[in-house]
Amino acid sequence: MMLKIDNLNVHYGAIHALQGISFELEKGEIVALIGANGAGKSTTLNTISGILRPREGSVLFQGQPIHEMPPQEIVRKGIVHVPEGRKIFPRMTVWENLEMGAYTQSDRATINRDIESAFERFSRLKERRNQVSGTLSGGEQQMLAIARGLMAHPTLLLLDEPSMGLSPILVEQIFDIIQDINEQGTSILLVEQNAQMALAIADRAYVLETGKIVMQGSGDELLENPSVIEAYLGGH
Amino acid sequence: MKTATRNGFQTGITFGVIVVTMFLIGFTVIGAALVAKIFGTSVSSGSIPPLPFFVIFISLVGLWNGATAARRPLTGADEFKPALVAGLLAGLVTGIFSAVVALVFGMLAANKIDVRTYLVAISPESIKMYLFGQDAVTGSLLSLVLLTVSSVAGSALAVTLRTNAKVRGFFQKAAESYTNAIHSERAIKLRNNPSARYAFLALVAAALIILPRTWGGYWNYVLGTVGIYIILGLGLNIITGWAGQLVIGYVAFFAVGAYTFALLTAPAPHHLMWNFWLALILGVLAAGISGLLIGLPILNLRGDYLAIVTLGAAEIVRILLKSDLMTPYTAGPRGIRDIGGPTLFGRSFTSDVDFMYLIIIAVLVVSFLAYRLQNSRTGKAWVAVNQDETVARATGINAYTSKLLALALSAAIAGLAGALFASRNQFTGPDDHQLMVAINVICLVIVGGIGNIPGVFLGAFALKGLPEVLREIENYRMLVFGILLIVMMRLRPEGFLPAKRPALEKNTPPSGQEA
Repeated sequence: MMLKIDNLNVHYGAIHALQGISFELEKGEIVALIGANGAGKSTTLNTISGILRPREGSVLFQGQPIHEMPPQEIVRKGIVHVPEGRKIFPRMTVWENLEMGAYTQSDRATINRDIESAFERFSRLKERRNQVSGTLSGGEQQMLAIARGLMAHPTLLLLDEPSMGLSPILVEQIFDIIQDINEQGTSILLVEQNAQMALAIADRAYVLETGKIVMQGSGDELLENPSVIEAYLGGH
Repeated sequence: MKTATRNGFQTGITFGVIVVTMFLIGFTVIGAALVAKIFGTSVSSGSIPPLPFFVIFISLVGLWNGATAARRPLTGADEFKPALVAGLLAGLVTGIFSAVVALVFGMLAANKIDVRTYLVAISPESIKMYLFGQDAVTGSLLSLVLLTVSSVAGSALAVTLRTNAKVRGFFQKAAESYTNAIHSERAIKLRNNPSARYAFLALVAAALIILPRTWGGYWNYVLGTVGIYIILGLGLNIITGWAGQLVIGYVAFFAVGAYTFALLTAPAPHHLMWNFWLALILGVLAAGISGLLIGLPILNLRGDYLAIVTLGAAEIVRILLKSDLMTPYTAGPRGIRDIGGPTLFGRSFTSDVDFMYLIIIAVLVVSFLAYRLQNSRTGKAWVAVNQDETVARATGINAYTSKLLALALSAAIAGLAGALFASRNQFTGPDDHQLMVAINVICLVIVGGIGNIPGVFLGAFALKGLPEVLREIENYRMLVFGILLIVMMRLRPEGFLPAKRPALEKNTPPSGQEA
């Protein structure tokens, strides 16, 4: 078991945001968390990456509890979080952003090689390597955010709403890239509002509603589940 | 034509208010004295400069008024006529403002009413100068005419400079030949030539060695102060410019450095008389530790808490130093005298030239440190935390320790500046450590270009060097700072020399697709 979440409870002051969530992720899987706004999807990712602390429950990564570790330790363990909203360092260039992603790496030659391979995967970024990243388009910024996440050699990548605010063609591209990253051996925990796309590529998925997991199953099962279709896929 | 009228009217009102305000705060006298200084005539402070210089000063204001009124956008292919209308209108409006005020104060003066009870800066002599030595009516008419004529001239001049092909060609050519000269192959070769570079460095070094010996005690004092403020600016730039944490009470660390050093080397109140270098190191360490202590409980919070806490700390330090409670330990409001100077191999070096050298060395060391930090992993982590703390943490940066380190380093550098300052003056007291020092440092960092090392140098020279040279405006320093900051924020919000993040790509093999 790569990641095991057990009875996770997170509070924002008086608000009980995660109410005893438990789920797991096997090595090599893509697991999707879907749900409406405020269901607790981002909170789950923030707790796994150490930005938030749970009041109760545990996060085990490769058998080791990590829910009391600071974020920088968790990155070194191999979990990299790509926060929602195309969070990049807007006043740094593309190159510098990638370099920051490799903050936990120390070997200069490896970093340069990693940047070159990031440019192979994201050829648009290569053209804009010296551009200040705040001036990139939305899709390019999202690609940069993912590319920066990969710089730390994650074994588990946490992606928060990678399709947010992108055009359908770009969404397809991003999901192709996610699948590609997964095929090369990185496990992925994907948070998405675009349930259709997420379920299509996910091995398994969990549906969150107001801080609780209300449904789970393989991606295909959930795609055909009537209540999922009703609530998240706009079907009748 | 409508735009022209509006431009003229608006500009006229603005400049009218400026002219009247200048008169009311006594700046007309200062302005005339500054003009006199440019022409090489020295005017002792408090006395009235000769009339021609005042005429020139007012005409300059008028020219500026007209040039501003003639700004774009003006309608029509032929810009000349609307520009002149705008200039005339602006001049008339400003002139009327000025004339009314001149008339009122002229009448008051003629009736021997002294307005200094209410407006301290307006002496009968300054009123007389404002009226060009004439009676109230003639003087105010003259003021109106002069402001109008100069404003029209200003607008004509502005349009000519803008539209005249010859003039424009001249400026374009000059700009072109400048860029060509910089980018020419020969220039690039010269710049990349190591021996040329060494020759340049040697020249700078020679200047730094020779100049303090030759230019005399006054310049050593002025530039020594500038140097100390450069050190302070470089220090504040770390925590505020790079790590993005506003520190208002930066002077607290300056005070800790100065007092630690002073108490260790002075004969009273403790008679420790330690070695200069040991005390200097301890002063730096004490300041750094004080930064660490202030940061420990604060820096894991986001927002501007640090600004408020350091503001409080600065005031607490100053008031404690003044208090009776601390008098036995820190000599109280009288301050510490006979602070030790540098010694080397048993000889003491305390002349102004020696201190200038010491400050130059300290500036070089701190700049070198700042450059190394800027390009280091730590430096990049600061900038990352500054831009987005959440993402920075998600990429594995420990934001808390990173900010803590920045604050400690900033504080230590302030301590160095404080120790040098105390040692040079051979005195330090609570009044050396007022909040104004910190405000000055913030101003110089902002004006120079926040986050930029050369910007700090420029800012320090502009804000600490110029006022020393232009003693005339001393009483108006805060006013000038305020205006300067407003103008900066309007025209160059990132400072005179905006920070350019260094190209970090130089470590990589060249690519065919440079942007």
